[in-house]
Amino acid sequence: MSAFNEFKYILDESFRMLRRRKASNIISVIIMGFSLLVLLIFILVTLNISMVIDNAREEMRVYVYLENGLDQDVIERVRTGLYNFDSVRGVVFVPREEALERFRERLGEGSALVDDLETNPLPNSFEIRMKRAYSTGEEMGRIAGKIGDWDGVEDVRYGKDWVERGEKIVLGFYMTDFTLGIIVFLSIVFVISNTVRLSILSGRKSIEILKLVGATNRYIQVPFIFEGAFQGVISAVLAVILLWVSYKVGSRYLPGITFFRLDGIAGFVALCAVLGAAGSYIAIRKYLKR
Amino acid sequence: MPEEKRIIAGIYHLSKRLSRHFTLKDINFQVANGEFVFLVGPSGAGKSTLLRMMYMDDVPDSGQVIVGRFVSTRMKRSTICSLRRKIGIVFQDFRLLEDRTVFENVAVAMKVSGRGMSEIKREMTDILSRVGLYHKRYECPAALSGGEQQRVAIARAIANRPSILLADEPTGNLDPYVTKEIMELLFKINSGGTAVLLATHDVELVRSFGQRTIYLEDGRVVKDSGRVFEGDLLRSISDSQVERRAREFRDRRIGRGEKQDGTGNTNRPEGGG
Ligand SMILES: Nc1ncnc2c1ncn2[C@@H]1O[C@H](COP(=O)(O)OP(=O)(O)OP(=O)(O)O)[C@@H](O)[C@H]1O
Ligand SMILES: [Mg+2]
Repeated sequence: MSAFNEFKYILDESFRMLRRRKASNIISVIIMGFSLLVLLIFILVTLNISMVIDNAREEMRVYVYLENGLDQDVIERVRTGLYNFDSVRGVVFVPREEALERFRERLGEGSALVDDLETNPLPNSFEIRMKRAYSTGEEMGRIAGKIGDWDGVEDVRYGKDWVERGEKIVLGFYMTDFTLGIIVFLSIVFVISNTVRLSILSGRKSIEILKLVGATNRYIQVPFIFEGAFQGVISAVLAVILLWVSYKVGSRYLPGITFFRLDGIAGFVALCAVLGAAGSYIAIRKYLKR
Repeated sequence: MPEEKRIIAGIYHLSKRLSRHFTLKDINFQVANGEFVFLVGPSGAGKSTLLRMMYMDDVPDSGQVIVGRFVSTRMKRSTICSLRRKIGIVFQDFRLLEDRTVFENVAVAMKVSGRGMSEIKREMTDILSRVGLYHKRYECPAALSGGEQQRVAIARAIANRPSILLADEPTGNLDPYVTKEIMELLFKINSGGTAVLLATHDVELVRSFGQRTIYLEDGRVVKDSGRVFEGDLLRSISDSQVERRAREFRDRRIGRGEKQDGTGNTNRPEGGG
């Protein structure tokens, strides 16, 4: 019973603390909100770019060109071999006739040129689609290297440069977001730690009184931690609202861009709550330890 | 008091060096249940420091302070909280929460002890009536006179029915007339069974009441007008004795708690539930 009472009173104290909003807190919430907005913009850009690149990457094929005049069983052996890779999702055999037909279609008006050919210069080939998770330059390069040594295989090609460039771009964005994230999150902890420290100092008479009547550390510090978490949440919500508005404006010029999913936003807000709580925990521990 | 006399708070060979100029030296005294004791001495004699050791805001360099079942040589932060819920403390400067009503100021002491709101409300009428402030329960401290503020502080101090009340110059900020009122209130509380240890530099005040008085000068007890226990109890006690005494104390309290539950007039058993 007493633990429940304590919980209730601590909650009371926390809400009492929140009701006593001060101008300095509003300013720091605005500053944090805008820092978080910058971070969110970067992450949203990254999200959209990596989605575009992911989609493109999924369309990437590894082409295995076969020697001419192979026996059917050699071709089948290659096919089985290809299916043996864990990273391969599907394999399509493209006979040289079909390849020529596709070539002709692609040329369109100039297809008369093809008709003039006496022999078909194109080889039989396999088109490999990779599993989504393995659509990386590294994995494509790895299997291409192996397949190239097989009997009956003339050549293996894939959009090496393209894939690798895409990966580099995404990696660059990730690194930027990561660095920026660390900087912004650390400053959130720092700023909240500071505003809560001021709040502690202005309430230190009350803290001393609570100590005198036998309040536990928990009873004293939880309301401050609550205050810090609350500031984190408000800053995060502010940032999300600002981002949403900019998204609405931006998507008029760039239709098709995506926004964060709801669970991602919830996670972000929760993270900011945790950061705020951590910041105020630091401040109050420092004060109580003195 | 018909009850047998026993020590509820004791200081045993306490020494504490505070600065180059000031040291508390080999302090010994005990307070029995229901006793009223003045701790007198000139400014700077070490009264406040001594009281601080008793509510364990500071630790002695050597010697021991034992209050109830709490022993200064084995205190942790959490046991300090428990100790303070078992004693009442009053200061010269009232130390009230400025942004809360009289009711809330008193309730806070009961809340940190984990007592339920319905119980708090039920007992508040009695507590505030005893200090004569029931009609001002929704006022904030700023709207009260000094004497009234001190009454609130005293109400808060007795809210958990402590066995001892520590008062550091409780009338230091009050005029003679209000001082008399506050002293009367403290005696009234004392006659209800709560021991009071009152520190003051006001010798006149002490003389006019003729209670047991401990004189402190320059960090030493120079006179104790009415030692309750002589002889071997004045030694600081070994660990096993501490444990035995703490156990006895606990047993007695729990026993008492059951007996007197009907009157609702006892300390709550440790833990609370
Ligand atoms: N934290 C401290 N550090 C160093 N010296 C201290 C500290 N606290 C108190 N003192 C010194 O200890 C001595 C006793 O102080 P204390 O406050 O206990 O006296 P007091 O008897 O309560 O006096 P008063 O009647 O003025 O309240 C003083 O000389 C004071 O300067
Ligand atoms: Mg003093």
